[in-house]
Order: sequence, then C-alpha cells, then structure tokens
Amino acid sequence: MNSILLATLVLFAISSFYFGRSKIKKVALVRSIEPKALPKFYGYYQALWCSIPAFLIISFWTFFEPIILKNLIESRIQSMSLNELSKDELNLIYSQIVSFSQGTFTGQISNGIKSGVETYQSLLSVSQGAKIVLFFCAIIIASLFSFNQINKNVHARDSVEKIFTIILFLSSAAAILTTIGIIVSLLFETIQFFTKINPLDFFFGLNWSPQKAFMSDPANMTAQEAKDLREAFGAVPLFAGTAFIAFIAMCVAVPIGLYSGIYLAEYASNKQRKWGKPIIEILAGVPTVVYGFFAALTVGPFFRIIGENLGINVSSESALAAGLVMGVMIIPFVSSLSDDVINAVPQSLREGSYALGATKSETIKKVVFPAALPGIVGSILLAVSRAIGETMIVVMAAGLAANLTINPLEATTTITTQIVMILVGDQEFTSAKTQAAFALGLTLFVLTLILNFIALRIVNKYREKYD
Amino acid sequence: MTREQRLKKRYTAEKRFRLMGIGAIAIAIFFVFLLLLKVFSTGSTAFVKTTIQTEVDFNKELLELKDVANPNIEQIKSAEFFDVTYKAATGLFPYSNAEEEKDVKQLLSGNYELEIKNYLINNPDALGKKVMIDLTASDDLDQLHKGNFPRDIPEDRRRLNNFQLNIYDNLLEQGKIKTVFSNYFLFSGDSRDPEIAGVAGAIIGSFFSIIICLIISFPIALMAAVYLEEFAPKNIVTDIIEININNLAAVPSIVFGLLGLGMLLGVFGLPRSTALVGGITLSLMTLPTIIIACRASLKAVPPSIREGALAVGASKVQTVMHHVVPLAMPGTLSGTIIGLAQALGETAPLLLIGMVAFVVDVPSVPTDPSTSLPVQIYLWSESAERGFVEKTSATIMLLIGFLIIMNSLAVWARQKFERKW
Amino acid sequence: MKNKIKAKGVSVFYGEKQALFDVDLNVAEKQVTALIGPSGCGKSTFLRCLNRMNDVIDICKVSGVIEIDGENIYDKSVDVVQLRERVGMVFQKPNPFPKSIYENVSYGPDIHGIAKDKNHMDEIVENSLKQAALWDEVKDRLDEPGTGLSGGQQQRLCIARAISINPEVILMDEPCSALDPIATAKIETLIDELKSLYTIAIVTHSMSQAARVSQYTGFFHLGKLIEFNTTDKLFKNPDNKMTQDYITGRFG
Repeated sequence: MNSILLATLVLFAISSFYFGRSKIKKVALVRSIEPKALPKFYGYYQALWCSIPAFLIISFWTFFEPIILKNLIESRIQSMSLNELSKDELNLIYSQIVSFSQGTFTGQISNGIKSGVETYQSLLSVSQGAKIVLFFCAIIIASLFSFNQINKNVHARDSVEKIFTIILFLSSAAAILTTIGIIVSLLFETIQFFTKINPLDFFFGLNWSPQKAFMSDPANMTAQEAKDLREAFGAVPLFAGTAFIAFIAMCVAVPIGLYSGIYLAEYASNKQRKWGKPIIEILAGVPTVVYGFFAALTVGPFFRIIGENLGINVSSESALAAGLVMGVMIIPFVSSLSDDVINAVPQSLREGSYALGATKSETIKKVVFPAALPGIVGSILLAVSRAIGETMIVVMAAGLAANLTINPLEATTTITTQIVMILVGDQEFTSAKTQAAFALGLTLFVLTLILNFIALRIVNKYREKYD
Repeated sequence: MTREQRLKKRYTAEKRFRLMGIGAIAIAIFFVFLLLLKVFSTGSTAFVKTTIQTEVDFNKELLELKDVANPNIEQIKSAEFFDVTYKAATGLFPYSNAEEEKDVKQLLSGNYELEIKNYLINNPDALGKKVMIDLTASDDLDQLHKGNFPRDIPEDRRRLNNFQLNIYDNLLEQGKIKTVFSNYFLFSGDSRDPEIAGVAGAIIGSFFSIIICLIISFPIALMAAVYLEEFAPKNIVTDIIEININNLAAVPSIVFGLLGLGMLLGVFGLPRSTALVGGITLSLMTLPTIIIACRASLKAVPPSIREGALAVGASKVQTVMHHVVPLAMPGTLSGTIIGLAQALGETAPLLLIGMVAFVVDVPSVPTDPSTSLPVQIYLWSESAERGFVEKTSATIMLLIGFLIIMNSLAVWARQKFERKW
Repeated sequence: MKNKIKAKGVSVFYGEKQALFDVDLNVAEKQVTALIGPSGCGKSTFLRCLNRMNDVIDICKVSGVIEIDGENIYDKSVDVVQLRERVGMVFQKPNPFPKSIYENVSYGPDIHGIAKDKNHMDEIVENSLKQAALWDEVKDRLDEPGTGLSGGQQQRLCIARAISINPEVILMDEPCSALDPIATAKIETLIDELKSLYTIAIVTHSMSQAARVSQYTGFFHLGKLIEFNTTDKLFKNPDNKMTQDYITGRFG
C-alpha cells in the first residue's frame, strides 16, 4: 500500500518539477518580468511543496496507525470480556487477530477473535481510506498553494534552500531522537519495575536470582513469595562482577596499551610505526564475538588445565579468562588514544629536557608523561566505559551465576550478561524479570554516560591546553 | 656512586624502558597471531566434508516404479525411497544385530536419504542400476577422519564405538572414504547436524542488515554532518546535538539492542527476528560514528574552496552541495564503510531483537526471520557438538574476510580519491 | 683569549637539503658570542649542532668537526647525555615543564644525581634562581606551576633550569624573541652577568641586541658564515660588503 502511494508521490513530484519550471517561464513571458531565481528552482519549489505534506501524512500513518488500532481493539476486547485480562493476554489476542486478518494465522479461532477480526478489518479499511483521501488532498492543496506562489514570483531559491536546511537540521536531530528513544524505552520499563521492586533492594541487594521471582497477583502474594521477590533482584553481585572483570581487563590493557602507545609515539622509526600500528589495530577490528569464542574455547580451558596441574580449582568460565581477553580487546584502544595524547605534547618540552642532558626514557617518564597525564586518564576512563559495556566476551566466557566473589578463578556475572540472559529467548514484556533487564540497561547507560562525559571533558580540556 | 656508574645505571634504565615498550608491542602482536592462528587452524577444515562411497541399488521394484515403463521426473520424485536408502545405508558393512545395524547407519549424515533421492532426480538414467554414490558422512566420522577425535581413549568416552572404528578402518582401506569440498557449508542454512549446517542464511541475513543500515545511516549521517559543519549556528541547540552525538558514539551496543526491543518491536510492532529490525538497530548504532567521520572529512576541505565559490556568487547551499560535499566524498565514503564494518561485526544488539532464532531456511527478503554471521558464531560456539567448533572458526574466517575486504575498500577509497591541498 | 669551542668545516643536511655549508667558527671562553643573520640563514641550525640537539631529528646529518676543550663532540665515544650536561640550552619560546617552579629547576640536578640530599638540592635551586635573577619574584611560591609565570619570568626560569646543572656553555636560541621590551632588557642584563661564569653563544635576529650583549659576532647568510669578528669591529667596520649591507638594513 505504502509503496504504491510512494511511487505515486515520486511521479507527482517529478511532473511537478517540470510543471513549476515551465510555469515560471510562462509567467515571466506573459507579464514580462524577470524571475527572481533560475527556472529550475521553481521546479524544485513546486516538487517540494507537492511531496513533503503528503509524505508526512504517509509517515504519520505508518508510525501511529498500528499503535492506535491496537489500543482501540484492546479496549474493545476488554469491554467484551467478562473478567479482567492481563496485558499479556491482550497482546496475544491482538496478535492473533492481526495474523488472522493477514491470512498468516493457522489454527482454531474463537468467536470472540472472529468478531475482533471483523472490527479490526473495518477499522483498518476506515484508516486506509482516510489515509488515501488525506494523501491526495495534501498533494492538491499544497500544489495549488505553491502554484499561486510561483504566480507571485516568490524567491524560489531562498525557499528551496530554507527547506533544504531544515531537512539537514532534522537529520542531525535524529541523534537526539535516538537518545530520547533510548531513555524513554529504558525509563518506561524501569519505572514499572520499580513499582514492584524497591529501588533500594535493587541497588543494594546482595542476592541476584531472577529465576526465583514468580510474579503472582500482588494482592494475594504469600509472605514467602514477597520475600523471594524482594531478594531476587539484588544487583550488587552484578555491579561487583562488572567492576571486577573491567578491573582485570584494565590491568592487562593499561600497561600493554600504554607502553606500546609510548613506544610507537616516542621510539618507533617511521617504518616500525607503519607496520606496528595497523597490526595492533587489527585487535580493534576483530568482532567481540570472536574474542568471546577465543575466551571460551581457548583461554578458559587453558587456565583450567594450568589450574588442574597446579592443583587449583579453576572454573572453565572464569572472571580471569573473560577479563584477560577483554583486556586484549582494549589494548589498541588505550594504545592509539595514548599515542595521540603523547603526540600532542609539544616538542619544545622534550627539547628542554634533552638540552639538560636527560635520556629519552627520563624525558618520557618525568616530562612527557606528567604533561600527558590528564589526556591519558581521560583515555583510560573511555576504555573503562567500553569494558563495562562489553557484552559478548562476558556472555560467552564469564558465567551466568551471580557470585559475589573476588576470586578471579571463579565464574562471575555482569550487568550485560544478565541483560542478554534475561532477554534472549521467550519473554513476556510485563514480567518483573524482563523489566529488570531494562533497569540494568538504564543503570549501564547512565554509568557509561557519566564516564564518557567526564572523560571527553578531560580530553578536550587537555587538547585545548596544547592547541 | 661515581658519575660513570650513575651514567651506566641511567643507560640501563633507558634500555629497560625501551625493552618494555617493545615487549608491550610484542605481546599485542602475539595476541593477534594467536587469535588468527587458533581460528585458521581449527576453521580451515570446515570447508571440506568427508564422504563414504556407498552402493545404491535403484531397484525399480523397491522404488515402486515397477509398473511404470518410462517414469518421468515427477514420478521419480514421488517414488518410495525408503527401502532403497535403507538398503544402501545398511549395506555399508555386515552387522549381526539391531544395535550394530544402528551403528552402521549412524556413520552417514542425517541427510543421506535426500542425497540419494536427489542423485536419482539429477541422473534418471541410474534407474534400475546399481551405482556408487559419495554420501556425506556423519559428523562423528567426519571429525574422526579430520583427526579431531582421539582414538586411543576408552570406548565409553568416545563418540564412535570400537565396531564403528573398525568399519571406518575397513572403508578407509577400500578407499571409499574421501574428503571433498563441502557443498553444505557455504550454500545451505543452519542445521542441528554439524555436517550439513551452513552459513548461507547468516550471510544473507548479514547482507540484508548491512544494506538497510547503509540506506538509513549514510544519507542521514551525511546530512547531519553537513548541517553541523556548514550551517549550524553557534547556539545551545547545536551544542546539545554535538555533545549528544559524541556521547552516543560511546554508548554500549547492547543499549541499542534494548532500544530496538523496546521501541521497534514493542511500540512500532515491527517483525521480530528479522534483518529489517536488525538493520535499523545497527543504523542507529553506527549513525554517530559515521557522522563524526563525515564531519572530519568535511572539515578537511580548506576554507579557500568555500570562499572561492561564495566569491562568484554561489549561495551557501550551492557552495556546500557543488564543492564541499563532492570534495569530502572519499572521506565520507571510507568513514561509512568503516562504520558498516563495525555494524557487520556487532552481535549483542541483534541477540536482543531476537535474531538468535534457529533459522533453517535461507531468508529471501529482509522481513524473513534470520540470523547474521556474528550471531551464527555465537550460536554455534554454544553448541556441544565437536563438529560445530570448526564451523564456528570457519564462520569467523568468513567474517574476518568480509571485514578485511570492507576495510581495504575504505583505505582504497580514501587513497584513490585523496587530494593534496 | 682562549677558545672554548672550535668548529671546523661544519655542514648540515636535512635529508637532501643542505642547511649549512662548511662553517668554521670559534666561541671564546667566558664571553658572549652572537650569531646574526636573516631568518633561515642557518644560525639556529649551527647553534643546535653545538649540543647535538639535531640528533633528535631523524633526517638530520652533520659533518665536520666541533671541538669543546679540544674534544670532538661528534666522536663516537662522546656520550650525548654527558655532552648536554656540559652544554645547556635556552630556547626561543619559553618551555617550562608543566611542573612546579621548584621541580623545573631541580629536574636537571635530579637526573644527573648532582644533589647530595634535600638541603643541597634546595641550595642548588635557590642559587640557580638567584643567578637567573628570579629568586626574589618566586621565592614564596616555589610550589606553583612554572607555566603560571609571565613570559619573561618563564624564560628566566628556563635559564635557571639550564644553569642548575652548572654547565660550561649555555646556548641561547633567540631567547627574547617571544618577550616584551622590559622582559628583554632584564634578560640582556642577566646575560651580561652570566658571562663571568659561563661561555655563552646566542642566536638573535636583533642586531642591536647582538651589539649590546656580545663580544664576538658571526654573520650568517644562506647557510654560510659570511664574517666573524669582534662585535665592535663587525658593527662599526665590517670587512665584508654583504655584512655592511645587512647591518645597515639594506636587506634581510
């Protein structure tokens, strides 16, 4: 349906272009006036006026028609039903209705659904009809308007360019829309989650076992169930596990990344730089799922075998394996950022130090590094934020059980792992478990946002200092 | 301490520091090689499969085509193949009881009946004759033949029992076991049986996602970059957009998965598990990266070009569209390709929008349920069968291959069209 | 007059490009020698050869002989770290380290292990700052960052830093070009005082500065040393026609 309308629209727009262009020539000839812009701009002008309002109508319908229809149908089902239906049940009935009317549903349907299908189809045809009528009205009215404007010899190029600039602005606002979308979708579920679970229990509870949480009717919940529910969503083990694995990762990435960054910036000859930098950057280009595979199938078993030989019990999914591999993943990140930061330190400082008879390493340790420190700290913060948001490595190699432990040889779990564990597979949107995943997502989002914000500020301030 | 001693100590420290730098780089490079070595050494065998030459008797009677004089393709297709395939499979090796019969049959892949049927459909002349067909071997035999299964462990811990090993040795001696290029791995969809599982579905799924990601993110990112670099007034709205883009670029990818789940699936009701939703989610994720890259290449166009165009009376829009954007195109293209390469390797958001479903069919449109290459890697690496390890590694090889192609394309685009101002 | 530094046939190449052609020049002990000439004439390049600062630049090649107290500093056996300990340098733009004033001065003695203990270090810092005529201005705020000082103070801090390791020679590469006239006057007075203790070579683009502070002057043009003489002789009665033109402002 939409594709037909869009094709129609394109045809209209193209013909509008030629129409507008010839129209202004005629106007100019008849009234012997000079057009204010080149004829083609009048073509664009006519085409834009013809297509934009109609396009907006199509997009509006595409976005909101399903939402509005769903609400209408659901309230109808609700009013027809004898007992109160849960949101899940409504969802199910609605999706049955939709798939049946699209002809993809196979199986038995009840009379209730049959009547729902009829309502749905009649509503749909009303809505589609309204869309088509509005669509053509928009084309006609807008075209008449712009036709009239061309008759008045408006400055078409200015108008066209203004519309163009507005479109550009809207594209850049897409980023803001994305952020709003993230916040809204996370916040909505999180608030619902916190109406069931006390935020304090979530942020300070020490026990994470969402599989224990069976939401029954809040009104007649037994004391045991209420207690279970309260104790099911204590996220401290996840925060601790995330921080712990990120810490291990940084223990690997910071020294190696920093030293290689320093070497590449200060010691390496041009040829070494030309080869060394891209090879290290390969590590940055390897997809994280590959690291996860590497951690789970090579590094984890390797540690376990070593542990067996030493008589230590090492879990095959250990924080150490995940942290180590994550550290390897972050090496190029730290290395290239610190390389940049060190290169930004002015040469005059190095010369000042050399002129005093300092060796290269003394100059680096005592002059360049302290001067670059703020930038390096910023880079490390960015790396930390990347480590805590990393998903695949920990999903594949860190384990699923929420252990509050500081033993790197045991399995631990992280925020991201739990989000994936909860949301992959079958899920009902309303269960506290699913909403917990969104609450974790929001926590992660806010956490990384704060880290990035601080880090970017530090780095930018540092750059200004030496610019 | 004399001056000479001190100087010597300082130079030792210098040498040590330098060595630590070299050591750090060596460790990093070591990891690169370890990773690639691991992947390539386990993955390369996935492109070949093991076959067992089996005698198949296309007996007309068994096929229940006895009464048909000259059966056409349709009749062959609807023939009764059960007896023929059963006879072929059990005829591999003599056995003495039902248990052993099962052992014999298990040496062939789960797909052998279809392979036999297809053979006859493609070679109708074989009807009524006895022919030798190379049938795909089971995963266990395949792994044994490729040397991934140790033979010298106790029987109860082995996937193949002594009787089956005996058959294998026997068939090997007769030259009936061969290694050929696998027609499954690259050209078929996923399967529960490793020996016939393939990545075609994942490749097509990834392809659809990336194309959708490109269609959405490139125009929007380019326009956003042009606005911010050329038109944006210095005000608080612009500042907010800029800060927002920079922060968005560092948001963990899984959060975009939650966005896709909550908004695209939850609110807009787009179809779950599809490349369409995957592509949209990935495009939202790569948008800030591409915007930043596009801005950098627009910034690299010297102001003299703009001044030159403005000086001949071009409007601001004309200056940008006719001069600045075309000149910045190589940079924006290479930035976009790098952003797409990132999207191609992304897994976590796709898991959340349900692209982890077990999909046997190769998707034909973006609204079909599908997986993608990285998700396929995740799925297979979670599978217990030994045969999936090499499949996982081989899929990684393919993925890394695609990434290398895309990155070289980006480098090529930049170098080919690079201008020295 | 004893010559501290003797340069013979010094040529410098930056890759393919030759920046200095066969320069012979002597620097007298405990005197100020000025190097003048139009920009790009090689005077800074020559100065940077005297403590091998050009080693830092990869593509730079130096040929010829430069002797300090009769020892060729480009000899393989000479250690560049020890050489620079003897030959200090002050740069065109003040470049204090982003550290405290105290640490800026103590840095040199610290890396060379000159100070015996904390008290000795305090003493060195105080003396260096006094010699650089900066002590009175900063003695109450030694912990503040050196980058917070004014331009003239920063340059004197750099001079204090250079003399903290008690060098024999101090090289100054247009030390006043980034400073205002008052700060310049202070530095010039300081140079005059320092010459009793150190051999000084100074590159300057200002002929009047050369005339004010130096006893000997060399005039460079297009990478060649055109004339070397006592400052009096060179400015009042130069041997070379080109020098005459330059100091009277006919070119450059």
